[in-house]
Amino acid sequence: MEKQKIYFSETKFYPVFFMMVITIICVGILATFYHLTNKRVENYQATQIQKQVLETFELPVMSVKEDYEKYITVRTRDNINFYEAKRDNIVIGYCFPMQGSGLWGTIRALVALDVELSQITGFSIIEQNETPGLGARITEAWFLNQFKKKPIILNDEIIKYSLIPEEEKAGIKEIQQITGATASSRAIVNILYNNLVEIINKFKNS
Amino acid sequence: MTKKQILINSLFTENAVWRQILGICSALAVTNLLMNSLVMGLGVIFTLACSCFTISMLRNYIPNRIRMMVQVLIIASFVIIVDIFLRAFLPNMSKALGPYVGLIITNCIIMGRAEAFASKNTPVNSAIDGIGAGAGYALVLLIIAFFRELFGFGTLFGVQVLGAWWTKWSIMVMAPSAFFMLALLMWGVYTLQTKAKKS
Repeated sequence: MEKQKIYFSETKFYPVFFMMVITIICVGILATFYHLTNKRVENYQATQIQKQVLETFELPVMSVKEDYEKYITVRTRDNINFYEAKRDNIVIGYCFPMQGSGLWGTIRALVALDVELSQITGFSIIEQNETPGLGARITEAWFLNQFKKKPIILNDEIIKYSLIPEEEKAGIKEIQQITGATASSRAIVNILYNNLVEIINKFKNS
Repeated sequence: MTKKQILINSLFTENAVWRQILGICSALAVTNLLMNSLVMGLGVIFTLACSCFTISMLRNYIPNRIRMMVQVLIIASFVIIVDIFLRAFLPNMSKALGPYVGLIITNCIIMGRAEAFASKNTPVNSAIDGIGAGAGYALVLLIIAFFRELFGFGTLFGVQVLGAWWTKWSIMVMAPSAFFMLALLMWGVYTLQTKAKKS
């Protein structure tokens, strides 16, 4: 009997071989492309955070890099990283990164406090994945600005702000919540409270 | 079919969205701003053209049983290139489009064209077909976004067109309006096409 010639492309190994080769090619191209652009992406993200730190302190931003170097120093104490803002060599406040869970994912935020750590001077969101149009409104200025000039401590206790409807006028311990996004509004208040408790307890002693 | 016929066919006659009802999810999601729609459309055109071309080139070598795996792998690679490109060069756009860029991978139009056209035709014709289908998708996105942005924000490409007298229709910014707009568009096109066929 004559032995029939079997081509490699007809064997069982061919699909496996083909898949491996094409995977290696695709991944190779992507890895190269990623490495070529990685630095640019990281630079951008670093500048974004620097810009946001400056804005949370309400410092004028002309050139992010120069202003950041001029005003901001990064410090660490008791394992907490924070930013210190100086103007004419006088410390004007501290800014703490904080995070906690929102409705759909982690919310990362920055809070700026005055030198005595007695009131909030600025608040901003770095990252959130809340519902667009509803919870995502936590990044809107009117919501964030409510936290400005709010006291942190009242009668030796750290204030946990309570939520009131959007159209009502907020008192000193109150924050107007976002209509239709109670969960996200509450998440922000909780994140702020939990992180402030930790920060204040660690820093008030020293 | 000539190259021109292929293009017109995949762009209008067999338009992926209003004729084949594919790629609806992302068409609804990103159309509240013209700029987002434009970038999304360009991303899909790029992915379609490149993946159709590549799949068509390999069509005689891809083992039949694993062809879908290979197609998805190739499509995914091009989508990730788009994603990385946006992240590096248009970071604000990348933030605005969020997960939808990555989700181009699952856009049925791309798999559909790869299966229906690229796996049977020459690379150049496949690329033309891909561009046509992508442009058809982008066209639908832009038409919907035109009305949604105009009525919802009073702007076009971020430029204020309607004055302060205009009461913004908030519903146009939210998801339900996309459904209404898409349905109206399909209805309109269908009526026109049947009329054209009769006469």
